[in-house]
Amino acid sequence: MTAHTPSAAQTVLVEDIARVVEDVPGVAFLRPGLAARLRSALSRPDPGAGRTPTAGVRLTPGADDTAGWHVDVHVVVVRRARAVDVARAVRSAVETHLALRFPARPGARVRVTITGQV
Amino acid sequence: MTTHTDPPEGARADGDDESLPCGRPLSRVWDDWERQTDDPHTATCPHCRTAVDDLALLESAVRGLREETPDPSAHDAEPLTRRVMDLVRLELRPGRPLPLGEPAEDLWIMETVAARVLRAAAETVEGVRAGSCRIVDADGHEGGAVEVRLDIHAPADAALRPLAERVRQRVREAADRELGLVTASVDIRVTDLVDVRAEGREGDTA
Repeated sequence: MTAHTPSAAQTVLVEDIARVVEDVPGVAFLRPGLAARLRSALSRPDPGAGRTPTAGVRLTPGADDTAGWHVDVHVVVVRRARAVDVARAVRSAVETHLALRFPARPGARVRVTITGQV
Repeated sequence: MTTHTDPPEGARADGDDESLPCGRPLSRVWDDWERQTDDPHTATCPHCRTAVDDLALLESAVRGLREETPDPSAHDAEPLTRRVMDLVRLELRPGRPLPLGEPAEDLWIMETVAARVLRAAAETVEGVRAGSCRIVDADGHEGGAVEVRLDIHAPADAALRPLAERVRQRVREAADRELGLVTASVDIRVTDLVDVRAEGREGDTA
């Protein structure tokens, strides 16, 4: 596995994608997400307060600027929603977001994994 | 184009869980922290430290919830703690990823999450208790279908064939309707017969 340091722009993009994912109906939160939710629920001092947890989003840029993004999303979904429908909606939301942000790039490859139901 | 023969990185059968950017599996880092293992890597690695900080915060948050519960009768706090820790455990050891939807969609669900839904579906058949539920990629099946192997305890007085067929039906329906998992086969194995009437009478006599 290659360990690379993401650029500041990439970090912002990951946060954007995390927000997009969390807004998809049927998504409970991003993995792991639970610790952050508990923290905010308890209003404990937290240096990352107000920021969307991004551990459930991995973004790998393509080989160069002409290649598409590769996005790996891990989410916990709500029980009453059909898992595959939520996963498809997440993929579609991320693809749309990236297509709008980077109209010149080819389409992103988005993989969605459901890691829990609440 | 990715196909379903290419499971998500960091969730391979040998690892079964997420790896940090430093290469360590998250579960190992958290396990080490819980056992207070002395490890120079964890002490200095920023990724491991962040992961441990998250767990420490979670633990203190859960403990805080328990302490701050207005009615301190551990009655209410325990189930919450258990539910939270169940979810954390699920996040750490989710099993293997299974394909969702159509072939090559690159959508996945962790086995433990799917198994929980299918076991619950089986238990909607009266008197049935679900045991082990394994879900694996269907061998030689085109695309993303899975094979379900479910153990059940059945009522002793039930006709087993029709009962197993009802359970199979419920499991198939739940796999499709609640998850979107395509089932190539559902094998039901009756591992025990339970005398429901005897269980019902328990407590009547000393």
